Amino acid sequence: MYDAPTAAEQALQQHDIKISSRNVQVYYGDTHAIKDVDVDIEDKTVTAFIGPSGCGKSTFLRCLNRMNDTIDVARVEGEILLDGENIYDKKVDPVQLRARVGMVFQKPNPFPKSIYDNVAYGPRIHGMAKNRADLDEIVERALRRAALWDEVKDRMSAPGTGLSGGQQQRLCIARAVATEPEVLLMDEPASALDPIATSQIEELIDELRRNYAVVIVTHSMQQAARVSQKTAFFHLGNLVEYDDTSKIFTNPEDPRTESYITGRIG
Amino acid sequence: MTSDMQESPHILSVYDRDLEAIQARIMKMGGLVESAIQKSASSLEMRDEALAEEVRQGDIVIDDLEEQINEETARLIALRAPTAVDLRMILSVMKIAGNLERIGDLSKNMAKRTGVLIQMQTIPGAPAALRRMAREVELMLKDALDAYIQRDERLAQDVIQRDADVDQMYNATFREFLTFMMEDPRNITACMHLHFIAKNIERMGDHVTSIAEQVIFLVSGETPREQRPKADKTSLDPKLSPDVDEAGD
Repeated sequence: MYDAPTAAEQALQQHDIKISSRNVQVYYGDTHAIKDVDVDIEDKTVTAFIGPSGCGKSTFLRCLNRMNDTIDVARVEGEILLDGENIYDKKVDPVQLRARVGMVFQKPNPFPKSIYDNVAYGPRIHGMAKNRADLDEIVERALRRAALWDEVKDRMSAPGTGLSGGQQQRLCIARAVATEPEVLLMDEPASALDPIATSQIEELIDELRRNYAVVIVTHSMQQAARVSQKTAFFHLGNLVEYDDTSKIFTNPEDPRTESYITGRIG
Repeated sequence: MTSDMQESPHILSVYDRDLEAIQARIMKMGGLVESAIQKSASSLEMRDEALAEEVRQGDIVIDDLEEQINEETARLIALRAPTAVDLRMILSVMKIAGNLERIGDLSKNMAKRTGVLIQMQTIPGAPAALRRMAREVELMLKDALDAYIQRDERLAQDVIQRDADVDQMYNATFREFLTFMMEDPRNITACMHLHFIAKNIERMGDHVTSIAEQVIFLVSGETPREQRPKADKTSLDPKLSPDVDEAGD
């Protein structure tokens, strides 16, 4: 079943560490939500976070671009290094950080603006385009990357909210990739979509892996198995097991992982 | 090492019932195959045509069970997307069913040859030697199936080791049959049949070994890689080989 990769395969699969967390703790008031998480997330790899509701996987994901900063009672301790730099360092601007570490949410949340402006918003505020032609190019590239271009190129001024659910989610992905991020975080990106739109998003995630480190939180274990190369299993705020996805799904080390992925009472 | 994996039920209880049904079927199949080995060897020794006929007729039930197991495992893979230990159980069940079906066929072949041998002069000592060999394989199968049910890796390992004994018994009978044939060419037909039976039993041992390997895979997630003991040297040794003259040097 699971075969250890050969040395040559391993060399091919070897990717640089993009994000590295050390002793990360998260508290919501008195609640200790994330306990001492150490994890190395590889570049150009899809990493899936799985675990039961309330296990801390979304909380941890939100630490990776400092989304927890917006919650008053949340406190993050420990280090999260992006390319070796601590993102919680005082000199790091969270807005700049979020341009490098993009995020896509569970429910598609396009701005109440045109399709074009949805995608152009980020590049505009980050001053990425010198002129209109430049911006057009950025928008087209982002929409192509999100596999949405062909469906919307003739109605760029139509409102983003008028698209179907799957299209809206791809629009949000286009919006996230428009600022040329290095990491893309996705929190349940397909859970509000039908199976066809889900397949399109999954295909897109696999495409995105060529350029980005992708981290996806999902409740669908089959989705984690389908799209990711690495899987991290969270349980009660602990990172229980982190390994190659094929290993996790055929022969996990920890009995808690086994219980969870086989649908047993843990 | 035994595992308590089975004791913890799935949240979806119908999943457990499906797995249990498949497990029950493979055990039923195992019981029938054990009995086929025993009966075919016994029919040879006792020159009991009725018992041999029973084995020949009974094989269809074993084949049907294999087909049912294949259908049920395919359905379970499609509907429940098994993972980890469940996935390994399904994969091992499919392979074990295949091994059991082959052992059933080999028993049936023994029973067919028994039908022919009954009509010939007996070769002294041979049926009893073959029955002992078959008995050894039957015990190995029983232990392999017990190891499967109890998820007992150590017992499975023991079964794998014991295959060398069967190989050795096969070597001994092989030499014996050569001697009989050289002594009197009238023995050749009977000895050829007896030799095929011996080879059938030796092959059964290999299938049982493969079942034991599936138990190890099921429990540990690893397929045993180390070279298992191989004591069937007849195909390597020119002095033992029937084509000794052509081999020349």
